[in-house]
Amino acid sequence: MHVHRYTGITGRKIKLLLILLLAGFASLAETVGKVESLDEYLHRLEQQHHVSFVYDASEINRALKIETTEATSLEACLNLLRAIDITYKIVGDQVILQKAKRPPVIITGEVTEMVEGKSSPMVGVSIVEKGTNNGTMTDSKGAYRVLVKDHGTLVFSMVGYKTQEIIVGDETTLNVVLAEDVSVFNEVVVTGYQDVDKKLFTGSTINLKGSDVKQDGITDVSRMLAGRAAGVSVQNVSGTFGTAPKIRIRGATSITGDNKPLWVVDGVVLEDVVNISNEQLSTGDTKTLIGSSVAGLNADDIESFQILKDASATAQYGARAMNGVIVITTKKGRVGKPLISYTANFSTYRKPSYNTFNIMNSADQMSLYDELDRKGWETFGNSKRSPNGGVYVKMYDLIDQYDKTNGSFGLRNTPEARAAFLQGYARRNTDWFDELFRNSFMQEHSLGISSGTEKSQLYFSGSYLQDDGWTIADRVKRFTGNARANFNITDKLAIGLITQGAIRVQRAPGTVSRRSNPVEGKYDRDFDINPFSYAINTSRALTPRDDQGNLEFFKRNFAPFNIIHELENNTLDLTMIDLKLQGDVSYKIRPNLKYAFLGAVRYAKTNQEHKVYEHSNMAEAFRADGDAIIRQNNKFLYRNPDDPEAEPVVVLPYGGFYNTTDDYLVSYNLRNTLEWNKTFNDTHIVRVFGSQELRYADRQNKFFYGYGYQFDKGGVPYVDPNIIKQVVEGNFDFYGMGMTYDRFLAGMVNATYSYRTKYNLNGTLRYDGSNRLGKSRDARWLPTWNVSGSWNVDAENFMASQSIITRLTVRATYGLTASMGNATNSSLVLSTNKATRPYLPEIESVINIQDLENRELTWEKQYETNIGFDAAFFRERVTLTVDWYDRDGFDLISPLRTSAIGGQFVKSANYADMTSRGIEVTLGGTLYQGDHGGWKTQLTFAHNRNRVTNLKSTPTIWELVSSDGGPKEGYPYRGLFSVDFQGLNAENGSPYFINEKGETSNNVYLQSDITKYLKYEGPVDPTITGGLYNSFRYRNITLSALITFSAGNKIRLTPAFSSSYTDLDATPKEFLNRWMTSGDEKFTTVPSILDVRTLGSLDGVNPYAVYNYSDVRIADGGFVRLKQVSLSYLLPESWTSRLGATNLSVSLIANNPMLLYADKKLKGQDPEFFNSGGVATPIPQQYTLSLKAGF
Amino acid sequence: MERTKMKIRIRICLTLVLLTATRCSDYLEHLPDQRAELNSPEKVAELLASAYPRANYITFLEALSDNAEDKALTTSELINSEPWQFNDVPGRNEDTPDFYWQAAYAAIAASNQALETINNASDQTPYRASKGEALVTRAYAHFMLVTFFSRVYNPGTAATDPGIPYVTEPEKVVTQKYERKTVAYVYEQIEKDLEEGIPLLDNESYKEGAGRYHFTTTAAHGFATRFYLFKMDYAKVVAHANLAFPSGNILPSLRPINSEAYRALEPLVKLAEYTKADKPANLLLVEAPSLWARSLRGYRYGFNFNLLNKVVWNQNVTSGLWGYMFYGNEASLFTPKFREHFVKMDPNAEIGTPYNMIPLLTAEEVLFNRAEANARLGNYDATLKDLNDFASTRIIVNDTDEPYYDPARHTVTRARVLQFYHTTDIEAALIATVLDFKRVEFLFEGQRWFDIIRHHLQVVHVPYSRDNILTLGPNDPRRVLQIPQEAQSSGIELNPR
Repeated sequence: MHVHRYTGITGRKIKLLLILLLAGFASLAETVGKVESLDEYLHRLEQQHHVSFVYDASEINRALKIETTEATSLEACLNLLRAIDITYKIVGDQVILQKAKRPPVIITGEVTEMVEGKSSPMVGVSIVEKGTNNGTMTDSKGAYRVLVKDHGTLVFSMVGYKTQEIIVGDETTLNVVLAEDVSVFNEVVVTGYQDVDKKLFTGSTINLKGSDVKQDGITDVSRMLAGRAAGVSVQNVSGTFGTAPKIRIRGATSITGDNKPLWVVDGVVLEDVVNISNEQLSTGDTKTLIGSSVAGLNADDIESFQILKDASATAQYGARAMNGVIVITTKKGRVGKPLISYTANFSTYRKPSYNTFNIMNSADQMSLYDELDRKGWETFGNSKRSPNGGVYVKMYDLIDQYDKTNGSFGLRNTPEARAAFLQGYARRNTDWFDELFRNSFMQEHSLGISSGTEKSQLYFSGSYLQDDGWTIADRVKRFTGNARANFNITDKLAIGLITQGAIRVQRAPGTVSRRSNPVEGKYDRDFDINPFSYAINTSRALTPRDDQGNLEFFKRNFAPFNIIHELENNTLDLTMIDLKLQGDVSYKIRPNLKYAFLGAVRYAKTNQEHKVYEHSNMAEAFRADGDAIIRQNNKFLYRNPDDPEAEPVVVLPYGGFYNTTDDYLVSYNLRNTLEWNKTFNDTHIVRVFGSQELRYADRQNKFFYGYGYQFDKGGVPYVDPNIIKQVVEGNFDFYGMGMTYDRFLAGMVNATYSYRTKYNLNGTLRYDGSNRLGKSRDARWLPTWNVSGSWNVDAENFMASQSIITRLTVRATYGLTASMGNATNSSLVLSTNKATRPYLPEIESVINIQDLENRELTWEKQYETNIGFDAAFFRERVTLTVDWYDRDGFDLISPLRTSAIGGQFVKSANYADMTSRGIEVTLGGTLYQGDHGGWKTQLTFAHNRNRVTNLKSTPTIWELVSSDGGPKEGYPYRGLFSVDFQGLNAENGSPYFINEKGETSNNVYLQSDITKYLKYEGPVDPTITGGLYNSFRYRNITLSALITFSAGNKIRLTPAFSSSYTDLDATPKEFLNRWMTSGDEKFTTVPSILDVRTLGSLDGVNPYAVYNYSDVRIADGGFVRLKQVSLSYLLPESWTSRLGATNLSVSLIANNPMLLYADKKLKGQDPEFFNSGGVATPIPQQYTLSLKAGF
Repeated sequence: MERTKMKIRIRICLTLVLLTATRCSDYLEHLPDQRAELNSPEKVAELLASAYPRANYITFLEALSDNAEDKALTTSELINSEPWQFNDVPGRNEDTPDFYWQAAYAAIAASNQALETINNASDQTPYRASKGEALVTRAYAHFMLVTFFSRVYNPGTAATDPGIPYVTEPEKVVTQKYERKTVAYVYEQIEKDLEEGIPLLDNESYKEGAGRYHFTTTAAHGFATRFYLFKMDYAKVVAHANLAFPSGNILPSLRPINSEAYRALEPLVKLAEYTKADKPANLLLVEAPSLWARSLRGYRYGFNFNLLNKVVWNQNVTSGLWGYMFYGNEASLFTPKFREHFVKMDPNAEIGTPYNMIPLLTAEEVLFNRAEANARLGNYDATLKDLNDFASTRIIVNDTDEPYYDPARHTVTRARVLQFYHTTDIEAALIATVLDFKRVEFLFEGQRWFDIIRHHLQVVHVPYSRDNILTLGPNDPRRVLQIPQEAQSSGIELNPR
């Protein structure tokens, strides 16, 4: 601060002035008692008293008016200045003027907010004296005390609330009521690259507050989006922990690609540990357990979800964002005293019940077996030959059992003994659900601490989840930790650090991979012990325990089998460690130019151990060589090719299997961004944003099959060399390792222009480069771009005259987006295999050309148009967002048949086209808002229809009729087709169809690529999705309910028919209406049960497998589901404070309680769930008690 | 001032971007997976193990030939019935001409890829043997294609008969255009590759035990005898046959069909033995996905008792009996030659791909090619010697008490041949003998078709009902198999029908 002289008067001049002043003294009297400006007054005094004034012009305003009176002495004159708070000090002939210093005052008060109609103290509100570092914070009672300069200004602020400024007057008590800033989350769009003012944002996006969508008891955050965001479809194909739901934003964009949205957490793209396409999610294979990228996130850490949908919104993600982006922002520390929040959820799952399924009870089942027996299926000789067997096989085996010592049989072969034996089982009616499921207990504890000052904010959290398992075969533990720190080092420099980690330990039933078997029209999975599919597929006449309570074994793969025993002896243990370190630095180079850097490292390691103990059925099956017939039929024995006439032998004499699979991911992300903002004349807002980024991800997969591991003999392997020989001769590997490398670079420029935030124009240009597109520099780099604009109509003058529409923004986008397809044939792809020859000396290593070089390989692209508007009516009481979009996908990768002259008949090439179109509506409203409560509602609705317009690949019948459907030109991206059912054969009740030649026949060749005779049923993916959310509050009680719905798709019913059945099979009740005798074909479409002779006459043709894929076995996929009901009670303040807490609440939540509507044909089959065995289980009904406390 | 500062900043930024951009290209050079790069002699050699058409032609060639009669079974498979009815074979799965076309061109792609790497190598010496193999495999696959999909070589019309695309460069775009050119052009290219490749071959370069799955010098010369026989360059047939075996002596390599040890083998063992790589008669084997081994007995159009009587059990020029053993009944008659090697989808699967080991070239064929060429060249004694060598390993007196070859009774002479074939033209009689011997020897191996097209033999297929007797005349266009429809996308014209 510079001290200015009033005038630059020298000593001599002053003397002269004094003379002049004295001379003019008489005139002074005239001025008495008038108001003049300080400037004039001082000037007069200078002349009168020959002094000069020294003061700080910034402190003392010369224009101030002052009432002057008659005074003669200088002191008296100067004392008048006190009236305008000016003090003086005379130093020689100089008078130093100063603003009067009043003593600082102590201000006390209380900060409150209005919660549900009454004021509630606010803790941790920051109170700062404006322009200083002086400040404090409210305590647990909302009180504060601050020493502040008189007439200073106090600033009351807290994140999420409107900041208030109050000038200190005479009052020393200031009670402040802060109002929640409802717009704070809506006003900023978090793209992951930058936070954009919603008024300037031109793309289509949805913001969901973490606390709003959180569903207590649901452990995977991705499942919480169901029904809450228009255009985001969430299909729970499996409910097992760690498996991802099938998520689509605006439907599919690629025919062969993954079609999964991009997950971004705190600005960093979350790489998948393993790449699993949306279709693979429904296989039930162990790989699906690590399919959810967000399974390691604690739902309590999530501040918000931002879903970016159109080309403009996703522009910054360029060529990865064709399928939309979900940006998760985790919580940050907030300024204030430490805030502790604790959540505990206690859940229980309800066991499934046979009431909802359409399965025969044991009496019906036994009478069906009786028919099978009569039809020659369970004959005495057969029982030994059959690898699997239940009650009948057991009976025949007992009859065959002769004890030489006492001359008795296991069972006497008399009609009476047999009837008694069978009747015992007919009455059992085993409830497998009861045996294999439990009303389990899951607990989840989450603790978060937030603290901070203006300079540094910290957030720490930890959570623990323990799920004892819905079935007796699974359980999960998960630990997550999160530490986030933000430092504002100076006004210009800010640094942020995030450490996120998760540890997961999970057990699941042991399983091997499923394989598609087009030959027999089914999916095979050896040794499947999935409890859910076991319960619905296994005869209720079988018993888990005998009369003495011991486990009772039946026969599977020629070896003894009991599901409870097997689940204990054949397990899958999964461990996962996932750690992310992230740092960001931002620096304001100039007030309007900001540079930011973001870097992240992630390391994820998963390990799956499939443990098959010695006495498991799976291991015993490899040892089943009881007699010559078994030896000949047991496929798990070894046939020596060097000795073609020899009998198959056992190659696993001891031990079981120890098979491990490991997946590692190491990824790095680096990003530099530069942002420049300028507003010209308060009118033209210009913003330019540039970024450059690098991505690096290495993935490793390795597996090892350990043969003969002896778990209960000290963990020593016993390896029969023949088992290795068998593997090698079969052209398989017993261990393996594979790496994939992802290298990615991108640069982007985005520019926004806005005229008074009324008219906004936005454009983005981005270049992406990936190593997956080979060496060609042209193909490797892809530019994507888009232009968009928005018009904030509410800012127009003509809108001021009405009061209905509070807010209205109209948006439009057009742009090119892209995504990396699934092809890697940009350069020659060679694969090394073993020659498929029979004898070891002849086998050699062969390099095969897997794919010829495709120089033309490029990204999959689409042009997208989006038009939408956001509106609010009646002062935000009703909000409405509508978006319409049209997408033209081209250069999509698909198999293409070529002349084969180049050496590859079917190539992956960019040639296919697909269009999709849709509309999305979000309607929100506060239907009632009163002092004691309110009713809020939100409806989301989305319709999406896509069509493949150019596709040369010709799928086989099998690919189109199986439950995942297939792509075909002129149909949706995955269309479900059926073999056309033509009634039953009048002689034997076997079904007829239109086959691939267009003839009516019982023989359809499923591997045929002539698909024109198939019947189109509908898309596999729903075309309509949405949800209805309602929340009612009355005083301290809140009741909310979420209903989700979807429609427009078709579902393949679970295959239930077979040309032969065993006494293990559980059969659906439809069988009661089956064809029994000639003439029945007029009344029923349920085929007969064949007798052995008729089956023989079918000549290897299997019409029953085809029947499962006919138009009879189709149901409509539409459903309405009550997804969640929650009842919360906020404890009264008096109770809360007694416990030292600031708030306490108790909630009761029912997740997934009811299916309100579904096609009757489904008969208990969950319309979302794919019962594929393995580790897949449906989403259970779950009841949760949730406690929340804040301190 | 402000502006210049800004400019400098922008310049710095741009340089940074450019700097990173140049670094970028290195960064993006990283391969996306562990794919093998073709950059060493070992890898080129391993690639060439895939340069053999891994497809089986026997199914359609046997059905096309006169080795198949209507067994009147109730069911029939298109891959068997359509060729028998001289129709184009539908489908493109294993055992169809389309599948063979794809496999042959896939083999050619491997050869071309290997040659590209070799030609780009700074030092070609370590690649010498591979270059030879690549050239010979390329010649072989093209020869088989031109034999199936173009008219048989005819010196008069070869220069105008459409050939098949002779591919010498790896394909790098999705759809490349190709030309058929002429049969003469294709033969020139085959000859060029073959003659250049044979001297470079090195039998020591192959894995021990697996050599028979590659072109050894013997196999390559053996292939040359077939090629020149088609090209009617008989002197070269004899020359290559003599180069194929030490001092031209083929006898030790023939299958000991009439030996006591061989005849005593169990049928399952015989099945396995026939296509084993350690049998000297198998000059070149290939593993091919095929249903032939499991279906050859069950196909409706195939070998039956009528043919057995006519072709095998009938009188032959040696006056002895053929020592081949036949099994089965009318519906399932066969002689054990093929055993299926079933490659499962995973170790416990019941589904997978059935493989057959197919003998592509045998010592017997080389012997017959030399015999026929010698007959054409007027070296009748040489022909007779080969025929008698062959007969000595096949003929028996009878299979009850004298299951052995008796030179005194069985030796084929000029007189015997002339008398047996009721002719005075010794050349014609010897060729007839060769063709008859070959027909018996190569039953179930598809070789008969080569003789049918080369000698323009007429084929008559009589349905069991005796209605609509099908005749394939000497110049019937259906002797040329149809090119796959998809080839039109590369600008290839189909064969006339």
